[in-house]
Amino acid sequence: MIGENKKNVFFIVPERNEGTVIRATLEPLVREGYSVVVVDDGSTDGSWEKIKALPVYALRHRVNLGQGAALQTGMTFALSKGAQVIVHFDADGQHRLKDVEGLLKPVLAGEADVALGSRFMRREDAKAVPLSKRILLRMAIVVNGVMTGLWLTDAHNGLRVLNRRAAEGIHLRENGFAHATEIIDQICRLKLRYVERPMRVHYSKYSRAKGQSMWNALNIVIDLLLRRILK
Amino acid sequence: MKLIQFILIPVFVIAMLIYVRRFRTLLLDRLIAILIGVVAILLVLNPDWTGFLAREFGVGRGTDLMLYLSVTGLGFFCLTLWAKLQDMDARLTQIIRTQALAESAKSSLPEVPGKE
Repeated sequence: MIGENKKNVFFIVPERNEGTVIRATLEPLVREGYSVVVVDDGSTDGSWEKIKALPVYALRHRVNLGQGAALQTGMTFALSKGAQVIVHFDADGQHRLKDVEGLLKPVLAGEADVALGSRFMRREDAKAVPLSKRILLRMAIVVNGVMTGLWLTDAHNGLRVLNRRAAEGIHLRENGFAHATEIIDQICRLKLRYVERPMRVHYSKYSRAKGQSMWNALNIVIDLLLRRILK
Repeated sequence: MKLIQFILIPVFVIAMLIYVRRFRTLLLDRLIAILIGVVAILLVLNPDWTGFLAREFGVGRGTDLMLYLSVTGLGFFCLTLWAKLQDMDARLTQIIRTQALAESAKSSLPEVPGKE
């Protein structure tokens, strides 16, 4: 049974210039005994050297392509290594390993093909999200719901668990952040069984300083609309 | 705005989008470009035609018609350029990904034990 061997669970960690925090992010995963695939997406800060030295599968895009492309490369690699379950996990320390366990349960139990993280299922998780971002994400949820028919509580969450069947079916063509919408699209199209589970994002001073913020969320909403028009 | 404009504008826009998304071929791109070029030259050589066509379409003056056609033509060119960039992006991704996977084969951890 899949759950008995943690090595069959592959964490895909797309990374770009996260040299200062990458080791701290990966260590708990490795300690738990999971297989970890790090895809360095054209980093320029020397993080590649650090990653190569860790007991993880290390892949590198020579040129920056985008998080979507890095995830796909990681998934293709993991599948070729016999992965039974795939986890999407951020490199910057915003995701918590204990939330992953909540997402693994339904997939390992065979109840779902995909488990999606959500910041809005529990009050305390939602409160942790900065207000401006929360507003835009709510908008994204509505737009996404209207357009795909999939009414998620969090339409743009990077923490996901997929079983092999889902990972084999999904192929990301969007290289940038638009991949998040593409995944939801494909879950729909492939009629994969999905569930949402609560998770909390840890917005540290470091990740806030990176400036990934409400503008990103606005981009997501616009992107959702464009994809529907141009698809 | 006349009824014909209400109908033609969305039809044109949707036709362009569908074309660019589904039916693009190099030959069609070129034929359409040539067609637009020929029409443009003809209208420049026979400016009276623009007046005639403008009245037929209820647009106003010939110059207005030329403006609308030019904008449409430009829009079309931009869309085809964008589509070509998308293609290039996909090919670039393919190369980088293939290289990343090939290099991983040389230096990575052993196979997952118990894999079928």
